[in-house]
Amino acid sequence: MKLAKYVKFREEKFGGVLFETRSEKVYSLNATAAAVVRAIEQGGGQREVIDRLMEDFHDRDGAVENEAAAFIAQLEENGLVVN
Amino acid sequence: MTDQAINTPQATRKVGAEAIPSRSEDLGAPLYIAWQVTNECNLACLHCIEESGPGKAFRDEFDASQVFSFLEQVIDLEVPYLSFSGGEPMVHPQFFEMTEFVCTRGGQLKIETNGHYLNTENCNRLKAFEVKAVQVSLDGASRETFNRMRIRGDYDVAIEGVRNLHAAGVPIEINYSPTRFNVHEIGAAVDLAYELGAYSFYTGRTMYTGNAVKTWHLLAPTEEQYVEYFRVLHEKRDEYHGRLRVHFHEMGLLEELRYRLQHPAALLIVLPNGLVKLINALPFVCGDLRRQSLSEIWANFENAWNDPRIAEFVEALATDPEKTSALHKWVYL
Repeated sequence: MKLAKYVKFREEKFGGVLFETRSEKVYSLNATAAAVVRAIEQGGGQREVIDRLMEDFHDRDGAVENEAAAFIAQLEENGLVVN
Repeated sequence: MTDQAINTPQATRKVGAEAIPSRSEDLGAPLYIAWQVTNECNLACLHCIEESGPGKAFRDEFDASQVFSFLEQVIDLEVPYLSFSGGEPMVHPQFFEMTEFVCTRGGQLKIETNGHYLNTENCNRLKAFEVKAVQVSLDGASRETFNRMRIRGDYDVAIEGVRNLHAAGVPIEINYSPTRFNVHEIGAAVDLAYELGAYSFYTGRTMYTGNAVKTWHLLAPTEEQYVEYFRVLHEKRDEYHGRLRVHFHEMGLLEELRYRLQHPAALLIVLPNGLVKLINALPFVCGDLRRQSLSEIWANFENAWNDPRIAEFVEALATDPEKTSALHKWVYL
């Protein structure tokens, strides 16, 4: 899983921004969403990305797992990540 | 070439569970920089907003060292999107070095050109650098209208250039500036853009500024023509949905600027001499890259938009639309 070819990510104080430069759409990300994108940038499949986030955030009740999975689905739906 | 249509990133969309800020002042750097790398151009188009043309380079344009110092700042600040325009950017002596510099450092770069330097070799080089897109101005679907608008230009050369881009695999955008003598070709122009392999088509209203001030009597479409123009564009947008992005600004300049006053886009316009403008359609200069860093200029961006002279200028446009004729008399904030 990786960011799509024309998608750029930049960290910001509030989290980050994703810029899809073909459609010129800008997405603002909160801190959690930005952490997911950082994890995607590190490489690996979806399960690997989510496992990494669960470990980083000491996810005990599955909240991070659910939120990350939902957000990745949103990214896929918008064509911002590819497998 | 300098296009009349305004291409700016769309309004920020929010992703994630919490409420988050999305004002430009919350960003650490611009999201988009539109750099007019030179005012020199091989053409002298009737509508050029920058009055570019042969021998029209500014006397104080950036030298090579200033060029690359600026680009280093763009890369260091992780500005995600940069465009080179002009004048004609491909006549700049360092054009390919600049392109390589940006693209090999992960920048997404769009080239806005009149298409007259797009031979096979140049297109292959642009492909090798993986430029994000090349935007070509085709203000007509026929030789007659194109050549009337683009003085010294050659429709066949521009079309051949776009075909070379397509053959090389470079993503193509087409820009179209409407005039009273080419509005009737808009449908055919969209069809042509698709046939040439473009993925995006941009247009808007032609602005009363630059060369257009002197040629307005030849150029200005009537309101009736604009009504038909946008009707066709709505149809074409539907017809090509999912195949070609037909993007057009129906809004007049006044409405656009009123919106921008409330919602400044996170972009900077950089002139060939390093002066930085807030937006092309306003005369206000908010920085000078020969004396300030890009970070310093960005830090003052929101304050600059709040300067009362900008709102006064915009509101004065409501009663005097010809104020745009003075966009080149820069006002320093």
